[in-house]
Amino acid sequence: MGQENNHKRTTSAALPTARGRGAALPRGRQIQKTFNNIKITILCGFVTILVTFVSDDILVLRGTIGVNLGSSDADAVNQNLVEETNRILAEIRSDADPNDPDEQAPLNPNVTYSLGPKIRNWDEERKAWLLQNPEYPNFVRGKPRILLLTGSPPKPCDNPIGDHYLLKSIKNKIDYCRLHGIEIVYNLAHLDVELAGYWAKLPMIRRLMLSHPEVEWIWWMDSDAFFTDMVFQLPMPKYDKYNLVLHGYPDLMFEQKSWIAINTGSFLFRNCQWSLDLLDDWAPMGPKGPIREEAGKILTANLKGRPAFEADDQSALIYLLLSKKDKWMDKVFLENSYYLHGYWAGLVDRYEEMIEKYHPGLGDERWPFVTHFVGCKPCGSYGDYPVERCLSSMERAFNFADNQVLKLYGFRHRGLLSPKIKRIRNETVNPLEFVDQFDIRRHSAESTESKS
Amino acid sequence: MLEKCLGAQRAKRFQRALRHCKVTILCLFLTVVVLRGTIGAGKFGTPEQDFVDIRNRFYSRKLPEPQRLLGELHSTTTSVSSSDSSTNNYNAFDINTILLDEPEEETDRENFNYRLGPKISDWDEQRSRWLRKNPDFPNYLRPNKPRVLLVTGSSPKPCENPVGDHYLLKSIKNKIDYCRLHGIEVFYNMALLDAEMAGFWAKLPLIRKLLLSHPEVEFLWWMDSDAMFTDMAFEVPWERYKEYNLVMHGWDEMVYDDKNWIGLNTGSFLLRNCQWSLDILDAWAPMGPKGRVRDEAGKVLTRELKDRPVFEADDQSAMVYLLAKEKEKWGGKVYLENGYYLHGYWGILVDRYEEMIENYRPGFGDHRWPLVTHFVGCKPCGKFGDYPVERCLKQMDRAFNFGDNQILQIYGFTHKSLGSRGVKRIRDETSNPLEVKDEFGLLHPSFKAVKVSSSK
Repeated sequence: MGQENNHKRTTSAALPTARGRGAALPRGRQIQKTFNNIKITILCGFVTILVTFVSDDILVLRGTIGVNLGSSDADAVNQNLVEETNRILAEIRSDADPNDPDEQAPLNPNVTYSLGPKIRNWDEERKAWLLQNPEYPNFVRGKPRILLLTGSPPKPCDNPIGDHYLLKSIKNKIDYCRLHGIEIVYNLAHLDVELAGYWAKLPMIRRLMLSHPEVEWIWWMDSDAFFTDMVFQLPMPKYDKYNLVLHGYPDLMFEQKSWIAINTGSFLFRNCQWSLDLLDDWAPMGPKGPIREEAGKILTANLKGRPAFEADDQSALIYLLLSKKDKWMDKVFLENSYYLHGYWAGLVDRYEEMIEKYHPGLGDERWPFVTHFVGCKPCGSYGDYPVERCLSSMERAFNFADNQVLKLYGFRHRGLLSPKIKRIRNETVNPLEFVDQFDIRRHSAESTESKS
Repeated sequence: MLEKCLGAQRAKRFQRALRHCKVTILCLFLTVVVLRGTIGAGKFGTPEQDFVDIRNRFYSRKLPEPQRLLGELHSTTTSVSSSDSSTNNYNAFDINTILLDEPEEETDRENFNYRLGPKISDWDEQRSRWLRKNPDFPNYLRPNKPRVLLVTGSSPKPCENPVGDHYLLKSIKNKIDYCRLHGIEVFYNMALLDAEMAGFWAKLPLIRKLLLSHPEVEFLWWMDSDAMFTDMAFEVPWERYKEYNLVMHGWDEMVYDDKNWIGLNTGSFLLRNCQWSLDILDAWAPMGPKGRVRDEAGKVLTRELKDRPVFEADDQSAMVYLLAKEKEKWGGKVYLENGYYLHGYWGILVDRYEEMIENYRPGFGDHRWPLVTHFVGCKPCGKFGDYPVERCLKQMDRAFNFGDNQILQIYGFTHKSLGSRGVKRIRDETSNPLEVKDEFGLLHPSFKAVKVSSSK
């Protein structure tokens, strides 16, 4: 604006010279001059606005293809690399598999889908195998052998942050399982094209049961579920008479028929004939395409609160357990005395309070065993919740758990949102006294032995 | 005055031209300002960079509260299309707005007296006392099977390269699979224990801490995050190392005679949990502290070692230098293994996978079927590697699938090809699953069996 005034002053300064030459400056001319100035001002303003909009687009474009208007040599090399990476990234992330031209046609709805040939004597076969293979017992030091199964899709997430949290999630599971002698299988393959997505766990569970008779329990856990109580152990003796342990509420299930009465993000299946039968009964709503769509409609109609979408494994299981209650429910344990699955929203803000008042090992609302980030979907593009809330909460949950692991080593995170750690115990020439005090594994072993 | 020089008419025209120029310059100036504010003008900086500069100048000390506020402010002063804090779109979000990253304390001290920790001199005795008191945590699972802890790790912050984390994920899955088959425990580190020893040196304080915290562990197996297992059936020949404390892939002549900086590789090595190991860690560490110490040490190493380029001291060169210089002190307990690929340089292996599949089978661990394929120089987590991005990523996929096939075949599947993510069935489901034997005997391998008399 200052420049405009200068401009005007210059103009008016020029005027006296013109005036000095001859006639007095008519008012019309003055107005005309003013109009010219206004025109120029509007033009500049318009150009500015135009440039702002265009650069907005360019910025977005730049973010994707990496165009830099002010590049030097090093920048040019940099940009080439970024472009190259982005091109390869797009190729890697693309749905189309360049080596795989076959597209399987959706299953014929008249043919009942099956997970595999029917097996009827699994309990006897398994028992015989265990007798013949004593070096692969199903009970180790008084505890049943558990296999934790988790997984994620084979291609990179739609956004890079998703993969980072998948990595943190598996580290979290590795830590818990190392402390408690549990083996992990991380699945990155779609074993059955029909049962892709959340249904992919079914063929995998069946496959592992049949291949590993030495495994007593298979524990499925979603990739968006984090262990937040590193000390808590599953009370396995409580489930001696059961074959399926789910987190859930009987009243929500049987009275309200709610679609979130149980959660299939973290559950345990015993390796036995009953489980194989249940898997066979569970699978039919799964095959993608018209079968899954139709099944979705049935589920929405029958379960309370369920939105309209294709059939998911959780709703299908609820429906199955409700409709064939007498067949299945006597071997199903609905656990809610601790958070075998803990819905994150009610838990993550209370971590500081928990640290202040309670201690690990409780597993319930005082110190949740599992914090499960349902709905966040960090591997996709869009979640059901604001991204910032999800990611900061996941980071907090991860660090909350990591602090329990780092305690043995004398460190903790600087804050629940900080990736950096600080020392809480000086190095010493007698490290073993702290090992005795802080090693979670040794305390859990002791408690098992005192129980048995 | 102008009139006198040019004449009246010309002067008027000149002044008019001047006016137009002023307007043009004004518009141009506004355009540049707006562009700079949005796109940035390369090395001329952006207002955001100015802000960061100013902030850095005024906030040189660590101040947690204001830092957090500034962090929030910083995010709001970014470009026009900055992330909306209530967005549900992951692609529009910048993770750095929530990760609280306090700046490192600027210590300019020349840490020539760096130590990993207080000197421990009786670790062997402490450890054997502890093992006697804790028979439930033996250091040997079976007569020739020591308890092994595989240690690997990566940064707690997201990779700079968008696919980096995906490859880290595949890499850890690969390690989980091998270790599950071989009864080895895994420790994935994401914590920087000592800011002095950042970068490739970070493993030293970590290794020391783990040795001292896990007396039940007999061998610690360090493995880089860019190394993958490609032979799932190969069991490390533990008896061979009965008398040794440090096993690395390398060649005696290249280390002791040539002093070649790649005479051995510290991307995958075994270290016994004993006093000797604590001592060698102490001897290894001095070149590590970042800053002047590391830079000066780098010059020494470039001078002393064969073919070493000029850069700061790295742990591998420092180990070569240490062994070559103090061979009598350490060499007797160091085994430089080259009978199998405890570390296998990817460049000479990845193109031969198909040939290997045709001619050989898992279990050799050597050039016929490498135990480990190590992607040195690829740096998938960073922005720049030493090799073309495409070659690195495609070959990492192939190596991963090559290893994964050996796991999948246990369950009757295989990848459709070495470059493909999809899998196909190679063995039909049967109603007699227990009669199925997988081709390489990995389903219930002997190296995983527990002792019959008592459980693990």
